[in-house]
Amino acid sequence: MAEFSKQLERLEAIVRRLESDDLDLDEALQLFEEGVERLRVAREQLQQAELKVKKVLEIESPS
Amino acid sequence: MGAPLSPGHGPGLDLFAAASAEGAWTVGEVTRRARAVIEAGLPPLWVRGEIADFTAARSGHWYFTLRDKAAQLRCAMFAKQNFRLAPPVDGVQVFVFARPSMYEAKGEFQLIVSELLTTDQGGLWKLAFEKAKAALTKDGLLDPTRKRRLPAFPRRIAVVTSPDGAALRDIQAVVGRRWPVAELIVVPAQVQGAKAEASVCSALNRIRRLPVDVLVVARGGGSVEDLWAFNSERVARAVAAMPMPVISAIGHETDVTLCDLVADLRAPTPSAAAEAATPDRDEVLAQCGLIGQRLARALRIASRHVVERLDRTADRLSRCMDHRLEVSGARLTAYGARLDALSPLKVLARGYAVARDENGQVLKRVAQLPSGKEFRLRVTDGEVNGRVQ
Repeated sequence: MAEFSKQLERLEAIVRRLESDDLDLDEALQLFEEGVERLRVAREQLQQAELKVKKVLEIESPS
Repeated sequence: MGAPLSPGHGPGLDLFAAASAEGAWTVGEVTRRARAVIEAGLPPLWVRGEIADFTAARSGHWYFTLRDKAAQLRCAMFAKQNFRLAPPVDGVQVFVFARPSMYEAKGEFQLIVSELLTTDQGGLWKLAFEKAKAALTKDGLLDPTRKRRLPAFPRRIAVVTSPDGAALRDIQAVVGRRWPVAELIVVPAQVQGAKAEASVCSALNRIRRLPVDVLVVARGGGSVEDLWAFNSERVARAVAAMPMPVISAIGHETDVTLCDLVADLRAPTPSAAAEAATPDRDEVLAQCGLIGQRLARALRIASRHVVERLDRTADRLSRCMDHRLEVSGARLTAYGARLDALSPLKVLARGYAVARDENGQVLKRVAQLPSGKEFRLRVTDGEVNGRVQ
């Protein structure tokens, strides 16, 4: 879940930018909206309840 | 029992003479006869091997196993023989002088040791281990700077282990509890026995081509022999060559295998390996909650800043207007003064007068003022009527 890692990194960057002073309302609103959306996606990814287990059997290579 | 009891071994032994009426032997008879055969057939001898499972009984007797790569022997060394010796530790290579015998109460073949000498180079396992380790070190495979960081949020976790061992159950349970977001890809392998080395290598080879974020190689506890595949140089090199980070959890915490040394992380147990491979979902969710709070607060603050800035701008605007008005006022006064100077009233004040007819038209010329023409004359302080004579 490299995307998840990136998602959190981007969220952190958004919050930092939003917390800085030199920001007009337009940009602030835009960042906020992006942040909320990314947070929603991240939470959704975390909601998967059951572990998927896949067994890879000896298909390709002979032992 | 066929071989040791074969008539060729003990010339004085009539094997059928001891049989009961029914033709069956008692257990005690078998062990007694076996002991006799062994003691007659095998003289006291020197044996070289590695000590394992060493215990010193309260009686002062020592019991241990002597082994090499192929086999193992139970040994007893009684107190009257060992009292001058320091007890050996497991894993040490020794020479023993011993009499082969049978411990009848347990039906166990054993050596009765009368002398015990340790060798200096350590056990065979240890020797093989050190040789392989030196080769790996030489190629830089044990270099700590080679260790890769584990992914923070793994999507696919591969596991190489026995398909029916406790290790797999433990890993599955831990990953299921902590990070069910992931997919667990189990690649079964034989983790002990003659085929283990090849089986583990082939499992690793298969994973190499899969999109996997982190790999766990696991095996529960066992004897040095049981874990041996994970001390093979071939397995260690295969682990080192994996394209993704590898966590190794082989045997108990005290067993350090080459696989452990080469891996990016060594975990004391399969469960610990699973824990190291995964973040805790609840913690990540809490982190997300925190980010949400910071977002909301930051927006509040940002909008407050904007309002403050608007206020400041409005202040400046009104100050600006005030100034403008002041300037305009002054200019008006100046215009007023100039207008005043040009006012006809001022002219009248200097003694001039203006004559106008009944329509208010100014009478400037003689032609406009025929005899008898009535007019109004404006002087500085009012008007009077007049008529031309």
